[in-house]
Amino acid sequence: MIFYVLRRLLAAIPTLLAVLTLVFVIVRVVPGDPAVAILGDRATPDAVAALDAKLGLDQPIWRQYATFIGQSLTGDFGRSMVTNRPILTDVAAVLPHTIDLTLAAVLIGTLVGVPAGVWAALYRNRAIDIAARVLSLIGLSFPVFVSGVFLLLAFALHWRIFPVIGNANLADPIDRLTKLVLPAVTLGLVMAAYITRVTRSAMLQVLGEDYMRTARAKGVPWRRVVWRHGLRNAGLPVVTVVGLYFGILIGNSVLTEIVFNRPGLGKIIVSALNQRDYTMLQGLMVVYCFMIVLVNLITDLAYGFIDPRVKQA
Amino acid sequence: MTFRAALLAAAAAFAPVAFAPAAHAAPKTTLTVGMAAQDVGRLDPHFAVSTIDRTVVVWMFNGLVRFKPGSMDPQLIEPDLATSWESSADKKVWTFHLRQGVKFHGDYGALTAEDVVFSLQKAADPKRSAFSADFAAFDKVEAVDPATVRIMLKDTVPSLLGLLTNYSGGFNVSKKAVEKLGDNYARAPIGTGPFAFASIAANQSLELVSFPGYFRGAPKIEKISYRFLPSNASRDLAFQNGEIDLEYGMQDQTWVDRTRKIEHAVVDVFEPGELTTLSLNMSQKPLDDVRVRRAIAYAVNRPELAKFQGKDVAREGQSVVPVGYLGFTADNGLPQFDLARAKALLTEAGYPNGITLKVVHTQLPSMLSQMQVVQAELKRAGIILDLQVVEHATYHQMIRKDLSSMVYYSAARFPIADIYLTQFFHSRSTVGTPTGVTNFSHCNAADAEIDAARHEPDEKKQVALWQEAQRKIVAQVCAVPLQETLQAWVRRDDLDYGYDLKGSLSLGPLITEATHFK
Repeated sequence: MIFYVLRRLLAAIPTLLAVLTLVFVIVRVVPGDPAVAILGDRATPDAVAALDAKLGLDQPIWRQYATFIGQSLTGDFGRSMVTNRPILTDVAAVLPHTIDLTLAAVLIGTLVGVPAGVWAALYRNRAIDIAARVLSLIGLSFPVFVSGVFLLLAFALHWRIFPVIGNANLADPIDRLTKLVLPAVTLGLVMAAYITRVTRSAMLQVLGEDYMRTARAKGVPWRRVVWRHGLRNAGLPVVTVVGLYFGILIGNSVLTEIVFNRPGLGKIIVSALNQRDYTMLQGLMVVYCFMIVLVNLITDLAYGFIDPRVKQA
Repeated sequence: MTFRAALLAAAAAFAPVAFAPAAHAAPKTTLTVGMAAQDVGRLDPHFAVSTIDRTVVVWMFNGLVRFKPGSMDPQLIEPDLATSWESSADKKVWTFHLRQGVKFHGDYGALTAEDVVFSLQKAADPKRSAFSADFAAFDKVEAVDPATVRIMLKDTVPSLLGLLTNYSGGFNVSKKAVEKLGDNYARAPIGTGPFAFASIAANQSLELVSFPGYFRGAPKIEKISYRFLPSNASRDLAFQNGEIDLEYGMQDQTWVDRTRKIEHAVVDVFEPGELTTLSLNMSQKPLDDVRVRRAIAYAVNRPELAKFQGKDVAREGQSVVPVGYLGFTADNGLPQFDLARAKALLTEAGYPNGITLKVVHTQLPSMLSQMQVVQAELKRAGIILDLQVVEHATYHQMIRKDLSSMVYYSAARFPIADIYLTQFFHSRSTVGTPTGVTNFSHCNAADAEIDAARHEPDEKKQVALWQEAQRKIVAQVCAVPLQETLQAWVRRDDLDYGYDLKGSLSLGPLITEATHFK
C-alpha cells in the first residue's frame, strides 16, 4: 500500500513538470503584459521596458524558464508581480477557505445525492423517481450565481441568519462554520444533482443483476441487498464522479466565492489571469496540480476499497 | 408545514451559530468600506494606478499641497505638508517650506526635506514609479535645509502644484522606511496620513488604523476595513444588510434609483466625470479621409448615449477635454447629431453604400454595452462596426499596438486641459512610438498650440491656446467625445465625511480626520 502511494506520487512528478511548462508557455503566449497592469494606462513604452527589466521579463525565455523551474523545485515561488507579496503567503491564506468549501460541498453533494439516486432507482418511474429527476434537473440548470443570490436574499437579507460577507475568521470555528453554510449548500446541491443522476443510473444497472436476485432468493433482507450488494457494486462510477467533481471544485468554485465574498483559490486564479500575474499563476498551478494529484490518488485508493478486484489488478 | 415555516425551522436549527449582524452592533468608530475588487495592487503610492488603490492610498499619504477635501478644483489647492511656497519669475525654480512636527506612521520619525526630495526623485524614476513621465520637466530637487525643498525645472510645466498634490506621483513616502523595508514597502507602506496600514488579508480586506500622531489631529474614525467585494449584487446586499457603511457603486441610473430607495442610504454622485471618446485612427483607410471621420461625428447621438447611462451619472461629452477642466471650451464647433449630413458626407467621400470598420473592444460588460449603443447609432448612417471583442488585458495591448481602427476609451486626469490634450492628441503620445501614451488616432492637429501653452506664462493666453487646440482637434475629428460618467458611491446616512463631497480625484471619498459617524 505504502509503495503504491509512493509510486503514484513519484509518477506525479513528470505530470507536475509538464503542467508547469504548459502554464509557463501559455501565460506568456496570451496577449497582455504584467508591466502594463502595474503601471496603468499612462505607461509609456520606456516605462514598461524599465519595469519589464526589473521583473526579469526582458531575460531570454529559456533563462526565465530555468529560473522558474529551479525556484519551484526548491519550493520558492517568489512574489506576485502585481502585489509584490510572497505567493506562498497569499496561497496559504486562502487555501483553508478553499478546502473548507470543497470538502463541505462534496459532503453535502454525496450525502444528498447518493441516497436520492438509490431511492430514485428503487422506485423507478414512480413519484419519488420523478421528483428526484426533476429536482436534479433544476439543480443542474441553476447557475450558482443565481441560486447563491437567492439564498443570500432569503437567509441573509430577509431572515438575517447568515452574513452576506463570507470571509471567515479561521481561528473562530463558529464564524468559520456560519460563513460556510450558504456557499457549501449552493455548491453541494449542484453536485448532489449530478451524483443523483449517476447513482440512479448505476443502481438501475445493478438492480437487474443475477447476484441481486440470488441474494433476495437466499432471504437476505432487502435493505441489506440494496445498500450492501447493490450500492457497493454501483459505487465505482459514483466514486469516479465524486473524485472528478472534487478536483473541479478546487479551482472552479470561483463564482460561489465571488457571490458569497469568500476568499479562495479560484478567485486568485481569475485575478492573476486578468492582471497577467505570471509568477502568481505559476505558483497557483503548482498548488492546484498537487491537489488534483492527491484527489486522484485518494479516488484510486477508494476504488480498491470498494472493489478488491481493482487492487489485485 | 409551509415553505416559510420550513425555512424558519431550519433557521432555528442554526440559531446557536447564527450570525449576529455585527455591523449593527459595531462601535461607530469602525468604518467598513466595500470595494469592487479582488485585491489591492502595490500599496506603494507611486504605483497606485487603479481606482481600487488610488481610493485607499490617499487616506495614508500626503502631498506637499492638496485639493481641498471634497473638491478637485485646481484653483482650491491648499497647503498640506508644505505651509507656503514661492517661485521664481520664470516659474522654473520653486521653493517649498515644510510644516514642522509632521510624523510618519510607526517609529519612522518626523518628515524632513530629505524625505520630500527622496519621494520626488522616486516618483520621477520609471523603475520605482508609474508616474515618472509626469516629472519629465524636473531638473533637480534639493533640500535647502531640513524644512525647505527647492525644485528646479528644465522647462515650465502647466501646473507644478498639480504634480505635488495628494494624487499620483505627489505623495510623500518615508525615505527611511523605503530603504529599510525594500520590496516589502509595497505591502506595508509608511506615510504621514490620518490612517496607517495595519494588515492585509489576500483576497479579503485591507485594514487601516487611525494615526493618533496625525498633524491635523487624531482621526475620529479608529479603524477602516477596506473589503474586497467584486460582485456588484453581493456588495449591494452587504450594504443593505448593514455589513458595510460605504460602498463603491455603479455608474448606472438603475443602480442609483434602486439604491436611493434603501433606508438610511445616501447616494453620492461626484466629479470627476470620466470622458469617453471614440478615437478614430487617421493612419488607416478609410478614416484617413476627414469626410469619413466627420460622418462618424455627425452619426453619433450624444444625448441618446447619456440617457442610456442615466441622467444622474452621465452627461454629454462637449469637447475632447472633460467639462470643467482648466482650459476647457464648449465653443469648439463639435458636430451635432445629423444623420442626413453623415450619409451625405460618406457619399461625398466615395462610400455611398457605407463602410465597415474592424474595431477591437473589451468584453468588460459596462464598456461593451455602451459600445453596442454606439454601434447601433452608427449603423443607421451605414457605418458598420465589426467588433472584435477580446478580454480586457488583451484589449489594452491590442489598442496600444495600433490594431484597431477605432478606440473607445474612458479616462479622468488631473483637471487641466494640458494633460488630456498631451496624452490623447499630441503626436509625441502616438501609440506604437517609444514615447507613446494614449494617442490612438495619430492626431497631430494641435501640437503647436499644446506645446506653446506649456511654455506660456500668461494664464489667459495659455487658456486661449488650449481652447484653440480643442477647436483644431475637433475640426480634424481626431476623436469624437461621447459622454462623461460621474462617480457613484453610497454611504449610511449617519456617516459624515466632515466636508461637502463635490469631487475627488482619487475617484473615492476622502476619509479624513474629521470623518465620523453621527
